[in-house]
Amino acid sequence: MTDNLEKLIKEAVEKALEGDMDAINNIEDRVTRSKAKAALVKAKREVAKVETEASPDEDSNDSFDSKEDKTTNEHIAELLIQQFSDDINKELSSQDHIQIQSKNWLVISTYLRDDPACLFDSLQCITGVDLGEESDLEVRYNLHSMTHRHAVEIRISCPRNKAKVPSVESIWRIGDWFERETYDMYGIEFEGHRDLTRILLPEDWEGWPLRKDYEVQETYHGIVVPKVKDGWE
Amino acid sequence: MGIVKGDQMVLNIGPQHPSTHGVLRLKVVTDGEIVSDIEPIIGYLHRCFEKHCENSTYEQVIPFTDRCDYIASMNNNFGYVVAMEKLMEIKVPDRVEYIRIIMAELNRIASHLLALGVYGLDVGAFTPFLYMFRDRERILDIFELTCGARLLYNYMWVGGVSHDLPVGFVETVYGFLDYFEPKLKEYNEILTYNKIFIERTADVGVLPPEVAISYGVSGPNLRGSGVKWDLRKDEPYSIYDRFDFDVPVGEGTVGTTGDCWDRFYVRMLEMIESAKILRQALKDLPQDGDVHQAIPKKIRPPKGSIYQRTESPRGDLAYYIISDGSPQPYRLKMRSPAFTALSVLNEISRGWMLSDVIAILGSLDIVLGEIDR
Repeated sequence: MTDNLEKLIKEAVEKALEGDMDAINNIEDRVTRSKAKAALVKAKREVAKVETEASPDEDSNDSFDSKEDKTTNEHIAELLIQQFSDDINKELSSQDHIQIQSKNWLVISTYLRDDPACLFDSLQCITGVDLGEESDLEVRYNLHSMTHRHAVEIRISCPRNKAKVPSVESIWRIGDWFERETYDMYGIEFEGHRDLTRILLPEDWEGWPLRKDYEVQETYHGIVVPKVKDGWE
Repeated sequence: MGIVKGDQMVLNIGPQHPSTHGVLRLKVVTDGEIVSDIEPIIGYLHRCFEKHCENSTYEQVIPFTDRCDYIASMNNNFGYVVAMEKLMEIKVPDRVEYIRIIMAELNRIASHLLALGVYGLDVGAFTPFLYMFRDRERILDIFELTCGARLLYNYMWVGGVSHDLPVGFVETVYGFLDYFEPKLKEYNEILTYNKIFIERTADVGVLPPEVAISYGVSGPNLRGSGVKWDLRKDEPYSIYDRFDFDVPVGEGTVGTTGDCWDRFYVRMLEMIESAKILRQALKDLPQDGDVHQAIPKKIRPPKGSIYQRTESPRGDLAYYIISDGSPQPYRLKMRSPAFTALSVLNEISRGWMLSDVIAILGSLDIVLGEIDR
């Protein structure tokens, strides 16, 4: 099954490189089609590398332009790449999220809120994620625009032992509480937040409960905490 | 909370106080009777919902969602199963979709009845509370008839519902609607257009639309500020696109757009719309179809993540689910509409009298179980 698909994609990409985009556009399954398009972009990049005179920027733009079913994430990612090319991690971004570096997040978020093409006036949700005991933490922002009625997801990862992300509290007011909650559960510090304190847990709680390597305290205010049983009985 | 000046006083409301609708503590800085700052302190009902989910299977999460917003459990179940079905690409039978819509809308009416009744109680009107609880009781009876539970249903499952409708269900709901619709007029007479009630709520705690959006306020609170935004209409999930209904918004009928009265009245109008949806759903409800047919034997979603929003009676209820291919969620985040609604309290109650703060808090219709999770 997968072999067949790969073959199909390969053939379509070869045809497209010769100028026949229909070969890809006619693939019925949406997932396969987007895979084929991604393969095409990759192939074109390789071609560009070989022919040093061709500009890589134009190439990637060409391949995006012909798409009609481009997701909002891809569209916004293109806008962001034009403005903040160094801060966007193109390889890790996909059609359902944009991966960015934390350094310029405050500037990028201001751009996302104010640019007429974006106008993300509503921060829907901030989700903290622990990517595994040995790897990084990640903060995921779901943004929504009341004007354009479109939504994107931004992901920022930060190292586990030095988890710091710029605060967007001043951009979207709800960022205040959402960031406090993420700090409460993951210990991610939001730099520039005016009052970064625990919100759901008591202020003297130890540790960050939603991290995968969290260990329950042995005593709390002198009370022995019962051991957690493995699994459900 | 900043420095308290010489002529100011810190007043503590809660954690156990009838007008905080649960265990909520408000640290209020007052200058005479004028409120200059409020700090809501939450977390008293924190039951580690998200941590529990990471250690439970996907099926076991559903009873937990019941207990988050215990006033509208059906809608909480609904949001979760919609997200899971989208993640797993399950197509559920039409009959299940219709049953879910009927339950969700009935629960929306029940939730609004509680919100409005208790709001009356907050501002000093005791009788409407009894009227509305009497009618809410009928909806709980319908739920009891269907799944045996009156408050925490665990009714909607991934791919289906737990029980098919009992014999005579459709007639019972029609009977309820015939009884309920004329009652709305009664509520309006006794509460909505009551002069004292209008005095207490009109022009109080005005929430401008741009502030509401910046604070992530959603649902009836946002619509009360005049923003026409309803996920059932604007981003239809399940089969909401098949029904004909309006999205009522606040118009400042007796005061300014976005005041407490508008937020109250939007809920009143929404109950009419829910009744409209119910009548259409009952009419089109397919007679046959196995409600257990699409329930998967093992729930193991493919690797990936999903952010799915639904319209609960309190606003945009969203689940962010990350699956690593195992039978337990890797991460499950619930975006709670009441959480965002409470965060705006400080902004809109500064400068009002202490008694108005109670009116403003009540108009936001918060449920602490959902805020603390």
